[in-house]
Order: sequence, then structure tokens, then C-alpha cells
Amino acid sequence: MGKFLYFLTYYKKSLLTLLLILIFVWSLFSVQWNADLLHPGGGVTTKQIFQALLAPDLSPEILILALESTWITLVYAVAGMSIAIILAFFFGILASGVLSTSRFNLFAVSGFFRGILGFTRAIHELVWAWLFVAAIGLSPFAAVFALGIPYGGILGKIFADMLNDIPEEPIKALETAGASKLQTLLYGYLPLVRANIISYVMYRFECSVRSSAIMSFVGLGGLGYQIQLSLSDLQYDEVWTFLFFLIALVVLIDAWSNLLRKRMVL
Amino acid sequence: MKKTLSYPKKKRSFTFVTFSVLSVFCLLAASWGYIFIAENASFFGLFTEENYLFAKKFLSSLAGIGDNDPAFTNKESWIHALKLTYETLQMSVMAAGFATVTALLTVIPADRNVADGTLTLSKRWYRWILFWIIRGIYVFSRAIPELVWAMVIVFILKPGILPGALALALHNFGILGKLFAEIIEDIDMKPIRNLASSGASNAQILFYGVIPAVMPKFLTYILYRWEVIMRTSIIVGFVGAGGLGQQFKLSMSFFNYTDITLILICYLILVAIADAISEGFRRAAR
Amino acid sequence: MSESIIKMNNIAKHFERKIALSSLSFIINKGEHIALIGPSGAGKSTLLNILAGITNADSGEYLLDGKSIVNYQKRNIRSRKIGVIRQQFDLIASLPVIQNVLAGKLGEWGFFKSLISLLFPIEKETAARALNQVGLLDKMYEQTSRLSGGEQQRVALARLLVQNPEVILADEPVASLDPARAEDILSLMTELVKDKKQTLIVSLHSVEYAKKYFSRIIALRDGEIFFDLPSEHVTDSLLANLYALKGEAKDG
Repeated sequence: MGKFLYFLTYYKKSLLTLLLILIFVWSLFSVQWNADLLHPGGGVTTKQIFQALLAPDLSPEILILALESTWITLVYAVAGMSIAIILAFFFGILASGVLSTSRFNLFAVSGFFRGILGFTRAIHELVWAWLFVAAIGLSPFAAVFALGIPYGGILGKIFADMLNDIPEEPIKALETAGASKLQTLLYGYLPLVRANIISYVMYRFECSVRSSAIMSFVGLGGLGYQIQLSLSDLQYDEVWTFLFFLIALVVLIDAWSNLLRKRMVL
Repeated sequence: MKKTLSYPKKKRSFTFVTFSVLSVFCLLAASWGYIFIAENASFFGLFTEENYLFAKKFLSSLAGIGDNDPAFTNKESWIHALKLTYETLQMSVMAAGFATVTALLTVIPADRNVADGTLTLSKRWYRWILFWIIRGIYVFSRAIPELVWAMVIVFILKPGILPGALALALHNFGILGKLFAEIIEDIDMKPIRNLASSGASNAQILFYGVIPAVMPKFLTYILYRWEVIMRTSIIVGFVGAGGLGQQFKLSMSFFNYTDITLILICYLILVAIADAISEGFRRAAR
Repeated sequence: MSESIIKMNNIAKHFERKIALSSLSFIINKGEHIALIGPSGAGKSTLLNILAGITNADSGEYLLDGKSIVNYQKRNIRSRKIGVIRQQFDLIASLPVIQNVLAGKLGEWGFFKSLISLLFPIEKETAARALNQVGLLDKMYEQTSRLSGGEQQRVALARLLVQNPEVILADEPVASLDPARAEDILSLMTELVKDKKQTLIVSLHSVEYAKKYFSRIIALRDGEIFFDLPSEHVTDSLLANLYALKGEAKDG
């Protein structure tokens, strides 16, 4: 028994890896692996899709349409992120409990707000979108809220974690200088998390562009809507044009956030 | 006597950070402006009586009010939903597995320290070309959302678990590849150099130097991504790629609102379980 | 005839049955410069924390300027009486120097004033004068993280000058600095408080610095006062006994 336990701890990582591989193999049995998985003519379609990849539709009308849809996608992403940041700011601070004065407050308030943040981010943004469209109809606000709520949950959780991870000495020092709780937030917590939270927000902004693109699947405009239309017309060359615009937008934001991370002090 | 002190003035210089702050404000103004002006969306227009009644009806149908046999109290619906939950779980595991395997197979040439020869201590002219090609593929695969991959794949494969898993895998392959490459680029070079100078071959360097150093971090990232995949699995189902999502879409089109509630409950349970399992594995791997 | 600012009467503190301080009593007069020495674990930090009002004593009486410390529960009132300086990680590294210095004003400012000052520093003149006194005027708008350890400690000192409390407590303020910078900071510190007749209480590892810069030395050992003497009366044999390992102590 002792030997067995020793074996377990010594090879813990290898055993875990093995376990994960076994779970993966188990999942493979859920599919009957035969030719019936393919659509009849699936091979031909694959070939067509790949051919279209090499020759995307670059006609002026499609390019202008793509540019317009890219703009709409960006607009929803930016507006959604601004809602998310506002939500994350307030909920994150409350969930971190850095303003709580008593132990009871700390557990009750931060537990409550952590719960809310957990719930909002557990549901995918497209499910939120669907719910919003069903409830308030096809308004741009459905897209903006659908993005803002789950992203607010994610950002808020990360923000709260960052606030909790701050070393306590500088905060204590501010308190002995006479700072109130709110003032320690302004002069201590917020400046200390600034660089980290900005680079995380930039990363999430990149994700939100992708999410915004797929908002179209519940009937809201943008790149995803055009992709959907072109797919149903079997115009694969147009699909790739729109996809390249989406990729370009994502790459651009990625480059921006990389540059910003390098230039930002601490 | 108090004499005034001449203190330095703050230097105002136009840096990239200032530029970024300005761009953010421009983007914000333009976006909200566009929503309010060009799309003519009115925020307060949302709060009409019509919308209120509509939302109320929607929410009460979700809660099963006025429904004699809501799905979430029906045993058969539960069995069906749990079966779909099980399928979704399998789909997410399969997706994480595919993404991991493909990322692992391609990650070695995609490292900067392999391309410039510092890791293997040997230079080959083609390594940079290979590096850029694979990094390009990573960018390509992760820039396209899972849902779009799923839409394309259902043109090729019949609806079911496999197209969903493939779509999720394609997107996460690029993300994991990039993350893995960054981990390898960050590893401590000293033990590797020792191995290399004691005459180890490239394969030996890989198995004795690189893999033990990066494996724990790889595991952490795989588990994190699996959590995300779990959340997204419902989405790929919307376009017919199987699991809970497919049923969600069907129930939406048949206005089976209590069915939707049931699916959402299963989905939330699944997400919570996935978070707990992944957290448990990460703890155990520490 | 000098008047007293701090009166400690039978102060005791326990941490989970372990005695940290056992019935300490002493009086400190306004304007005194006191070094607190003793081996590690003697209770120096605990005593400073009690003096600062951060921790409360289990028993005993602590009068600050004639009133019990319980009357100073509000941080902004306490901060006018007592200021604390520790090692350099007390500063907010990601803020410019001027903001770290003006943080000494937070006890006086309300929320909105401090918010505005974060964007457009107010009372620049005050900050500039304090920075001039510590010799860092040219670094006013630098990022604090870019300063060296010694410079950061000077910034912390400038913050204290802006806060301008009656009593300054310093917990190992030079522990992480090299000897030249440590002396630099100590002489600056004692020099600056002299002008304003402030009371200074500093815990130190180095007996040499204590004798050089302070007029009175309080030595702690095992939570008790080992001696409390003017610096010139502190002898080498006393110090040897203070730092002797348990069982080695000879009669002093």
C-alpha cells in the first residue's frame, strides 16, 4: 500500500496525463467511424471550398459590403466592450471585497457578486443574444447587451482576482497616511492593477470582435450575417472574402495590443 | 519667509500610449454614434409597453407558466436532455483532444527558439519559412469563430457530434498552438544546453529537456481551453452540429419554451461540472 | 520642561499564547529621537504597530497626546498625529512620484478632491517643497518604479513630510539599503524632523546607527524593556548582553 501511494505521487503528472488521454479515447467511441459521416458529395464540396480559398471574390461590390459589415462588427464589439467594462468595474470591485469593512460584509457581499459574475459568464454570448432578441426584438442593443453581459462577467472576475492578488504593504501604507477605503482604491488598487487589466481588456476586445461577428446568427447584422447569406447561396469565394476581413480585423487588434503591452510602463 | 519654489513642468509628449487612448475614445464615440444615429436605435424605445408584454410573455413561457406539462417536470424530457448533455460532454472532450493533438504535432517548428536554432543549437535555412507558415495557420484558425467553422463543416459532414467537435477543435487548435509555442519559447535554456553539450540528439533533447519542463503548463492550458470549449459547445449545435445546442435551436423554432429552460439548466450544470473537474485536475497536477 | 506625547502604561500583547510584549511602560516627550533596538523577535514590530494604532494591545493603557488611542479610530484623524514609514515597497510603483508624495494629503482630502488630484495634481507646491527637501525635485513626474531603492525611500519620506504628523514611526526603514544610502536616509530623516520638532521613533538592526543618530535608545528583549537609556550611557557590555543568545546572558 505504501509503495502504491509512493507510485501514485511520484508518477502523479504522468498518471494524470494518461487519464486525460483515456478520457479522450472514450470520447472517440461516441462516433461511428465510417463513410456515412460524410454528406453524399461532401468530397466535392470540400474541394470547392478549398478552391474558393485560393480565389476569394474580390469584386468591388463584395469588398464594399465586406468593409461595411466589418465596421458593424467592430461597432458592436466596441459598444459591447464598453458596457462590459462598466459592469466589470463596479461588480469586480464589489466581488473583490476590497472596500468591505467587516469580515461578514466581505463574505456576504463578495460572495454574492462573485455569484452574479459567475452566472453571467456561464452562459455563452450567443445564448444571451438569443434571449435578448426573443425578449426585446431585433435591436442593435440586443447585440450590445448580449456581448456586454457575459464579457462583463469574465472581465469582472479577472479584475476581482487581480485586486485580491495585490500585495498589502502599499495599501497599509496609504491607510496609515490617512486614506479612506475609497481613496486606497484610487491611489492604491487601481494604479497597481492598471497595466495588467488593460492588457487583459485588449485580449478580450479581440475575442469580442469574433463574438460580435457571430451575433448575426440570431439575425443581427455584421460579417457573420454576410457569411451566412453567402454560404446558403453556396458562394464559397464570397465566404472567404468576408473571413479574410474578419481575420484582418482580429490580427490588427492583436498587433495593437502587443504594441501597447510593450510600451506600457509596469 | 516663504519663497516660491520653481518646480519642473510636466513633459507632454505624444507617445503610442497617448495615441491608443485617443483611438479608444474615437472608437467609442464612433461606435455609439453609429448605433444611435445610423442604425437609429433608441434606447428608451426599448421600454415600450409592447416590448414589456412581449418580454413578460417570453419569460413566463420560459418559466412554464400556463403550461400543463412543462418539460422540466417531465421525466422523458429529462432523460432526453441528459442524453444530449452526455453527448455534448463527449463532443467537448473530443474537441479538446483533437485540438491538443494537432497543436502538439505542429508546435515544434512554430517556436521562435527552434526557428533561430537556439533550442536545437543548429540552424537550417527552411526553419524560418516553416515557422511563419505554421504561425500563419494558427492565426487563421483562431481568427475564425467556432460557429463559422461549424457552418462550413456541416456542408461536408452530416449533422452529429463529429462536425461540432471538429469545429471547436479547429478554432482551439490555433489558440493552443500559439499558447504552447509561447510556453516553449519561455523555457529555461540552461538544462537544454547541458543536454545538448553532453551530446544528446534532438529527439533526446525533446523528451528529456523540453517535455518535462513544459508539460504541466500545457496541461493547465488544455484544461482551461476545455472549460471554454464546454461553454461554446452549445453554440456549434445551433447550426446542426449536435448536442444540446441542436435541441436548443429546434425547441426555439417550435416555440417549446419549457424545453429551452430544461436545456439551459442542463447546460449550466454541465458548465459548472466542467469548471469543477478542470479545477480538480489543475490542483492535482500541481 | 518638555511635555510628553506618548505614555505607555503596562502594555501587553499575546499572539496565541506566545507573549509578544509583557507590561511595557515608558514615556516619550515631544521632539525626542528614539531608536528601538533588540534581537529579532524581541517585539519591536509589534510595539511599533501598537504605537501606530494598527494593532491593539491586549491590556494596558496607551495615551497619545493625553488621549487614549481609542479616540483615534478614524484614520484621517490618526494620520495627523502619527505617520509610518517602512521599506520601499510601501509606494505605488505604477504612479508618478508626485502622486505618491501627495498621498500624504489623503487624510485631509475628501474623495472628490483626491480623484481630481489624480488627474490634475493639486497642491503641486507642497509636493515640490517636500521633494526639494529630500533632493528629488527633478524626479517629480517620473514613474516611481523607475527610481532606485534609495530614491524610493526618499519619496516615502517626502510623503511623510506632506502628511506632517506629530509622531513619525519607522520600522526598519533602511534594512534593504547599502550602508552609504542607509546613513544618507537616516541623517536626512533626523535632520528634517528637527526643523518641525517632530517626535521620531525608529526600529533598527544596527546599534551603530542607533548611537550615531539618536539621543535615546530603547532596547527590547523577549517582549520586555531591556534598557531605556540616553545613547551616551549605552555600553558595549549592555549591548553584548542584549544580543547574547539565551543562556549566555551574564549579569549586566
